[in-house]
Amino acid sequence: MALISLKNVSVNFPIYGAGASSLRKTLAASVTGGRLGKETGVTVVQALSDISIELNSGDRLGLIGHNGAGKSTLLRTLAGVYEPSSGEFTRQGTVASLIDPVLGIEVDASGLENIMLRGLVMGMSRKRVEQLTQDICEFSGLGEYVNMPVRTYSTGMLMRLAFSISTSIEADILLMDEWLSVGDAEFTEKAERRMREVVAKSGILVLASHSPDLISKECNRVIRLEHGRIVEA
Amino acid sequence: MSQVHSNLHRGAWADWWDGTRRPDIWWTLAWFDIVLRYRRSLLGPLWLTLSMGIMIGGMGPLYSGLFGTELSRFFPHLALGVIFWGFFSNIVTDACHSFVNSAHYLKQGYFPITLFVWRSLSRNIIQFGHQIVLYVPVALWAGISLSWHALLFVPAFLLLIINAHAVGLVLGLVCTRFRDVTQIVTSMMQMLMFLTPVFWLPENLPGRARYVLWNPLAQMLDLLRTPLMGGIPDMHHWLAIAGWTVVSVVCASLLFIKYRRRVVYWL
Repeated sequence: MALISLKNVSVNFPIYGAGASSLRKTLAASVTGGRLGKETGVTVVQALSDISIELNSGDRLGLIGHNGAGKSTLLRTLAGVYEPSSGEFTRQGTVASLIDPVLGIEVDASGLENIMLRGLVMGMSRKRVEQLTQDICEFSGLGEYVNMPVRTYSTGMLMRLAFSISTSIEADILLMDEWLSVGDAEFTEKAERRMREVVAKSGILVLASHSPDLISKECNRVIRLEHGRIVEA
Repeated sequence: MSQVHSNLHRGAWADWWDGTRRPDIWWTLAWFDIVLRYRRSLLGPLWLTLSMGIMIGGMGPLYSGLFGTELSRFFPHLALGVIFWGFFSNIVTDACHSFVNSAHYLKQGYFPITLFVWRSLSRNIIQFGHQIVLYVPVALWAGISLSWHALLFVPAFLLLIINAHAVGLVLGLVCTRFRDVTQIVTSMMQMLMFLTPVFWLPENLPGRARYVLWNPLAQMLDLLRTPLMGGIPDMHHWLAIAGWTVVSVVCASLLFIKYRRRVVYWL
């Protein structure tokens, strides 16, 4: 059962520049009774303000907006990275964050080792990753290359590996920053099919994208963000 | 307005356990940290053993001459001192970076922060494991006779791990928020190396300077080193370290309870 509910959620970022995160300034401010307060006065950026969304199984939500509108912050908040500064946040169901498909991949490790690393980082157990390894290797079509260090891969090959691992997870809620698509024509078709399967299995999809075509094709609900607010739902 | 309700909000204990219960993740990440560092070298992590061996092999005769101490007594003291000091100092300096270096993880998905504290600690345990093996040839050469008291090393090591984890949490949190602290800690550790009987023998200290042995690192070093040299560590040191453990665990708990979910905002 997948459910996401946000009620008046805001996320504020304190911006600690070189100045504010220095202990010297904080100490100076506390010693001088805060008269230097202006120096430690931390700039706060309101990345999300007053966001209310209700998502249930079957919802495919598209997030659109300019750079810096808050799409990624919203995705990360849904992933549980940022705890909201205010508001109510309820989430039920397992979450797969495909925000960064290459997270956990080490370029000096071999393809096989990276399957383990990436799998663990996505929260799978060692055993589960071992069970899936065969499939992932086959799907990626890397053949003998899985034993080679990833630094020898082309960009396309790396994306194929990352894609194959990332899409092998099953979750109720899928979070994506842009559609995962993979280079060469032959693989793209296969990948597209797999992508659909994964999305079909998930209860809720939240997809941030700059492409209106993609959003209208994949999503049944759209939210436009501007300056951290929902301007169009 | 500033009311926050989230069903993802769990108690501090649950958050701590959430990371701690996944040794498969943190141990594997730590293992790869070490393996990948030496991936393209012929000897691999054996370099850890070798470079430590070269260091103590070179320092032993020189320092025993300088201090006028018999080599067979001084050499195991120095070897264990340098190995344990390296372990302490790496634990402390690495702890300062444990969250900063894992920023890309912490920002892309939810990870319990204790995962990264354990990762940095276990990386140092693996490294220490490669270095402590040098104790065997040194002990054989020096003819150290061990009794059952050598088993006191086990509780001492457990105390070290508890403290290392607690200090790791404290430094990880503080250094992420205040980046200067990393520099302060690094220079403090350099200074403490000379104030701790790593190279010199505590009995050579003039009476009025004995207060330097109050530093917790000197006490911890005594608890770990003395059993392996065939002696019994001072009772005062056990009590002192027990006290320090309480302090570090309390500090770590307080900071963890308050700031565990804020760390990601500081990265």
